[in-house]
Amino acid sequence: MDVEKKHFTCVICPIGCEIDVELQNGNVVSMEGNKCEKGKEFVLQELEEAMRILTTTVPIKGAKWAMLPVRTDKPIPKRLLSKVIEQLADIELQAPVKMYHVIVKDVAGTDANVVATRNMKKVNHPKDAKKDLISRKEG
Amino acid sequence: MEADVTVIGSGPAGLTAAVHAHESGAKSVLLLEREEELGGILKQCIHNGFGLEQFKKDYTGPEYAERLIEELEKTNVQYFLNTMVVSLSPDKTITAVSPEKGISHIKSRSVVLAMGCRERPRSSINIPGTRPAGIYTAGVAQRFVNIDGYLPGKQVVILGSGDIGLIMARRLTLEGARVKGVYEIMDYPGGLKRNIVQCLNDFDIPLYLSHTVTEIQGKERIEGVVVSKVDQKMNPIGGSEQFVPCDTLLLSVGLIPENELSKEAGVELTPITKGPVTTETMETRVPGIFSCGNVSTVFDLVDYVAETGMIAAGNAARFAAGDWKKGKNPVEIIPGENVRMLFPQQYSFKDDLILFVRSAKPIDKPVNIELSPLGVRLKRLYARPNEMIRFKVSRDKLKDVTGPVEVSITER
Repeated sequence: MDVEKKHFTCVICPIGCEIDVELQNGNVVSMEGNKCEKGKEFVLQELEEAMRILTTTVPIKGAKWAMLPVRTDKPIPKRLLSKVIEQLADIELQAPVKMYHVIVKDVAGTDANVVATRNMKKVNHPKDAKKDLISRKEG
Repeated sequence: MEADVTVIGSGPAGLTAAVHAHESGAKSVLLLEREEELGGILKQCIHNGFGLEQFKKDYTGPEYAERLIEELEKTNVQYFLNTMVVSLSPDKTITAVSPEKGISHIKSRSVVLAMGCRERPRSSINIPGTRPAGIYTAGVAQRFVNIDGYLPGKQVVILGSGDIGLIMARRLTLEGARVKGVYEIMDYPGGLKRNIVQCLNDFDIPLYLSHTVTEIQGKERIEGVVVSKVDQKMNPIGGSEQFVPCDTLLLSVGLIPENELSKEAGVELTPITKGPVTTETMETRVPGIFSCGNVSTVFDLVDYVAETGMIAAGNAARFAAGDWKKGKNPVEIIPGENVRMLFPQQYSFKDDLILFVRSAKPIDKPVNIELSPLGVRLKRLYARPNEMIRFKVSRDKLKDVTGPVEVSITER
């Protein structure tokens, strides 16, 4: 029967065990290199479904800055990262926004919400303010 | 203006220090920030992994900053934005400028330096070739993408495998750029292992160890780089050159503590950290001037930055209150076998010692970290240059020391 070999670097703690796994028909038949049980759990989770937190930005109008930082409020399947990014592509927010304000609920069917990771105040005419600053500099 | 404690810089070190100086009883605390917002570099570090040790939470940079800012708002600490400190004198007189107030002078009983660090630019590593557009330090690219909403390019080469470079490899990939590879001159990665896995491996971005960029090509805009393998002495190997087309080159080649103000105040610096010589209290060689965070030495984790901020602020408050004895002369803490960096560099018998050590080479075997002549040792499963080792030695164990303490890392 075919034996499939896979390699993982555990990221549960800073040690970062290098773990080798052998699979037969998708079942783990051997695992080497993990110094603790958590490493085993990590590998099994990676094999079943690798999960990651996604952090990115979305455009915001009426704020001091052009972009608002956001995150998923829990890990989502790694294979869906780019799908979530695509889903966020058409969003444009309006300031003010409070931290943890939900921007997209149940994003890409992952059950996770995309939330703001900071407060962003409304600023009146940010471009005019900038112009003013430049003219003052030149004056 | 007068103050008990003045903190310069409002990144993670400065914010923590300002809050903690207040909590330690300082009556008037000033926090000076040259940008228009508090938070320093945290604002552009939108990735998670902040505060795992300090708060047992997995915050992003902005969340971590907001948490500290919330704590600050509960105190009576006065903070001034858009306020640039232009000089600091040994008697702790600060001169600052701002659009609102013009020039102001602050007489402070004690000062906490928290100015952070800067990225090493192209000129500090001397890459031959032309000088086209499209070459950025990783942190500048991070600011463009995460705050200003500009993508610096579409075909990206990253030189250096520091954490910011790795984080940007993932960030640019998610934003639609193609990262062709990360090239590292050393034979081990510069960044944390979790970043190698989650930023490179997850996106099939190759990491080339013992490689460097030996030429930059392109007239107006960068058109590509020549990369070469290097030998054990880090010299490029002739015949190994390869041309990699790209429109952007990011540099993630190290950070340097920003100590222009410290120098002006007569603060003694050390080449080991490029930061001030400090004792376990974070006091520099100038009485009443304390330093913390990345201006002291470049830390791997924000948790450590904040920890040094707390220590510095507690002692700065004590100094301002007049509760500060000169005490015994400090002893030196010196690097021994396999220690590239250590912080702090002196022990003054006032407090427990929180020691930060970086090994000179990777040892993936069990090691002892030893303090001679104390015989104090810490056992670890490994020691790697890209992961600072932190450990605490109690005041009790150190009280009878008379000469220098040598720190070494040896295989067990």
